[in-house]
Amino acid sequence: MSYIVPIGPYHPALEEPVHAKLYTEGEVIKDAEVFVGYNHRGIEKLATERNAIQTLVLVERVCGICSHSHAMTYAMCVETINGIDVPKRGQYIRVITAELERLHSHFLWLGIACHIIGHDSMFMHIWDERELVMDLLEKMTGNRVNYAMVTIGGARRDISDDLRRELLAACDKLKAPLDRIVEIALNDKTIAMRTKGVGLLPREDAIRMGAVGPHARASGVRIDVRKDAPYSSYEDFDFDVPVVDSGDVFARVVVRALECYESIKIIRQALENLPDTPINLGNKLIKIQPGQAVCRHEAPRGQLSHMVVGDGSFNNHRVSIHVPSYKNTPTVPFMLRNNTVADAGLIIASIDPCFSCLDR
Amino acid sequence: MQEYKKTVITKDQVVPIAERMRKEGRALVMIHAFINNEGQMDVSWDYAVDPAVESYHVIGETVLPSISGIYDTAAEWPERELNELFAIEFEGLDVSRRLFLPEDMLETQGKGQIMVMPLSELRQKNIEEGTK
Repeated sequence: MSYIVPIGPYHPALEEPVHAKLYTEGEVIKDAEVFVGYNHRGIEKLATERNAIQTLVLVERVCGICSHSHAMTYAMCVETINGIDVPKRGQYIRVITAELERLHSHFLWLGIACHIIGHDSMFMHIWDERELVMDLLEKMTGNRVNYAMVTIGGARRDISDDLRRELLAACDKLKAPLDRIVEIALNDKTIAMRTKGVGLLPREDAIRMGAVGPHARASGVRIDVRKDAPYSSYEDFDFDVPVVDSGDVFARVVVRALECYESIKIIRQALENLPDTPINLGNKLIKIQPGQAVCRHEAPRGQLSHMVVGDGSFNNHRVSIHVPSYKNTPTVPFMLRNNTVADAGLIIASIDPCFSCLDR
Repeated sequence: MQEYKKTVITKDQVVPIAERMRKEGRALVMIHAFINNEGQMDVSWDYAVDPAVESYHVIGETVLPSISGIYDTAAEWPERELNELFAIEFEGLDVSRRLFLPEDMLETQGKGQIMVMPLSELRQKNIEEGTK
């Protein structure tokens, strides 16, 4: 028997609005379509009526998880157009915030994945550990979400010596719970049964469809903007890019879990070698010079790019935002094929979709 | 600072460049568009030629070839979005269903008006038409 099974845009298994149509034969999905755009806020349009400082506030609201990534990428574009060199300490503080953001995003996703799998004790355990990261972000930036750490030309808040020591101690404290989470993720029977061989995206298809971030790296594609086109002093840090070849949901769990170690490694190096320079060039409003720039940042979900066009006025002439979910969401119908309806929620969630980002 | 290289091309060069980039294994970062200060449409195809971004611009054209046959969904989605926001026609692209904008918005406010019309005019149009 053939059925069309609709999921979403509002559905208990999906925390964000997306609509999927599954074309099934019995329990097996034969084809699928994904519909987005339920959360479109016209942020790119609004940005054309705002100056650079106002736009930092605006683009942070694109997403509640990777808000710092948006502010940082936008600032990089304006700095490129205006030829502004960000002081080294400002760059390091941006990196520390970005890596803490990656940690909290990956912990959040690992928890959600366990929740969808039905492993709720693991979900609660991971989210409990995530609170440590959230506390650090709050202590460092004053906020749990929308950190407002970025200004044009640097960072808005400094890291005091006391806070630096506290953050370094927290890096040690995070290690044991992370070891435990990784051990369970890699060895738990329930997780393996629900994720191994599910939602396959072979390497050549990931490249063909332009998948990015941990989603691509779980299909054996070694891409990471932090390595491929270093920015904000990422070239100063020693870290690895975990890549797994199997291309299933399990690989996406493994890649994200291993990336947490690398983020801690980067945070530690940045804190230990925090340069003794100013954090910014003064928090003043500037005109965006005539010109255009595209800057890329490795956000928690993958490559994020902003394009900014300036015309010599205070306001942006154009801001264009392209998020990792833009590249990864179109791979979902492909991954759903020949899987069961019961796995659809998990497969959709396995790309760590952000429809708030995607819809903008 | 990341490197950004801008080159202006003609619309006939769009597909050959995309084919060359695909052959070299370069990722399509994004396809952007905006109306420049002269009122012309400026469409750009950005490729990751690490560590730089190479950006190829076609200026003053609103009918362009689609590269979705070369870059699959990585090109198809941005082309569909630009069709909704700027009414740029990508030859051969299926735009029979919406991507980001609601269908009623596309009908009442006009496809391609969202990024082209100043916000103040869009707001006035909405007030006059009784929509929000």
